[in-house]
Amino acid sequence: MRIAVTGGKGGTGKSTVATALAVELGKRHEVVLADADVECPDDHLILSIERKGFADVKLPLPAFDFEKCIKCGKCASTCRYNAIVQVKGKYPIFDPGLCNGCGACMLVCPAGAISRGQRKVGEIFRGEGHGISLFSGEMEVGYEEASPVVNALKEKIPKSEFEIIDTAAGTHCNVISALRGCDYAVAVTEPTPFGAHDLELILRLAAVLGVPAGVVVNRSDLGETGEVNKIAEKHGAEVIAEIPYSKEMLESYSRGEPVAGKGILGIAEMLEAMLK
Amino acid sequence: MKRIVVLSGKGGTGKTSIVASLALAAAAEGGGLAAVDCDVDAPNLALLFGMGEGDFEEWKGIKASEKAAFDSEKCVHCGKCREICEFSAIEWDEGRRMPGIDRFLCEGCGACGIVCPPGAISIEKVENASIGWGRSKYGFPVATGQLKMGESSSGNVVAEVRKMADAVAGKEGAGHMLIDAAAGISCPVIASVTGTDYGLVVTEPTPPALRDAGRAISLLGHFGVPTGMVLNKWDLNPDFSEKVSEFAERNGVPVLSRIPYDKTFTKAVAKLVPAAELSSELKGMFSGIWEKIR
Repeated sequence: MRIAVTGGKGGTGKSTVATALAVELGKRHEVVLADADVECPDDHLILSIERKGFADVKLPLPAFDFEKCIKCGKCASTCRYNAIVQVKGKYPIFDPGLCNGCGACMLVCPAGAISRGQRKVGEIFRGEGHGISLFSGEMEVGYEEASPVVNALKEKIPKSEFEIIDTAAGTHCNVISALRGCDYAVAVTEPTPFGAHDLELILRLAAVLGVPAGVVVNRSDLGETGEVNKIAEKHGAEVIAEIPYSKEMLESYSRGEPVAGKGILGIAEMLEAMLK
Repeated sequence: MKRIVVLSGKGGTGKTSIVASLALAAAAEGGGLAAVDCDVDAPNLALLFGMGEGDFEEWKGIKASEKAAFDSEKCVHCGKCREICEFSAIEWDEGRRMPGIDRFLCEGCGACGIVCPPGAISIEKVENASIGWGRSKYGFPVATGQLKMGESSSGNVVAEVRKMADAVAGKEGAGHMLIDAAAGISCPVIASVTGTDYGLVVTEPTPPALRDAGRAISLLGHFGVPTGMVLNKWDLNPDFSEKVSEFAERNGVPVLSRIPYDKTFTKAVAKLVPAAELSSELKGMFSGIWEKIR
């Protein structure tokens, strides 16, 4: 069963919940934790797991042969990402930072001056610890698109009883890629106006993607939980756990150990019931 | 106009709270300010200035995304579109021998349209967000945007929000622009960093936050943007805060301020006001940071 841990807002405790949940489930089941926050993956730090390189994520990249180039400018006018700029009568200038590797320029070049190269856009790492396997995706700094790394990560993880996917903050492509095809989403939020606002966004996104969702209210004693509960109810999502703020939890977090507690156990038991 | 972007890599380190309080310090100084929320995935800045729908002078839908559109009558069932797509965005219906576009995966690159012999595929603009601006009760304009759920191209949306902010700030002759970026370091953050004059990295004393701050600093370095750091909630772990300072120094990034853990920030978010409005101590602290980055 594939479970996403997400939330919309950053810093609500997604990774804390995802790592703790994976370790709890790992006591009784075969569990893979996939860190799909490929822009800033941290689950290995939270669990003190040493990661080793597992696979590179590569995408096509055009390579220009100026000896063949006839300076027609078709590549530049075809590229929809402004990755190729051409001044009339000059050779095209290519900015790999803007290129997503779609290959359209190669298709339109009449002189065959653009060939298919490759470049690394990210890497998948693997590590073991606390009774689980961790797969962690990491995007190269300066590259624009996180989704290809998320998609590669999801392809690489072995089928297991529980596959926990820890998503990035936000609601854009990388979160969409992470959520798609999951059987259930755990939306971690906090009882603040920001938490409530962003929870509504992520529950709407889960609905668009057809993923059923439940809500975890983290640091539940931080403020009034009324608004968060109302939003969960409005979107037909059950509040599956309330986790109060605790100093011990914060200390485990900064020591690089998974947190534990009643709230996490409750979520794990609910997911185990779902698996049956 | 000097453009200052606030980012962190890791979410929840306090970017929006810090931008809001810095904005008050900037506004107090005069000289004109425009505040911009470039976290179009999950925008919270206007909310923290207490702005509601009625406070926006302009709010409009934009088409900053492109997707392939397919004309089934022209299709010759050759399957070339599916072969060429680098993003696996073309599903093949074996029964009808016809493609279907997976709109979550389609990047709108147009490669399928180039190889389609009868020209059955075109690229269409798709409405993927709303953007707008309004005046906060503090006097300065705030521009923001909201990505539509399930839509892509958030980087393009950020670029449109910034264009709108530039126009408003230009008309007012604002001397500064404060940009609140999203978490992470991919397209929407890159679109927030592009063309800025200074990057302020907000971090906190935990190993994940530091590692992600490192990635944010690398990103700013990649684009040649001068960088400073603010260490938030430093007293939650004074020992690790020392490590953060050492890391910053090794990377040539000055730590401009250490902000203590202060419940005023939580109260301020609940009340939807910038924290500097509730505490003279914080007000002084943010004026100090503003002096260094202005």
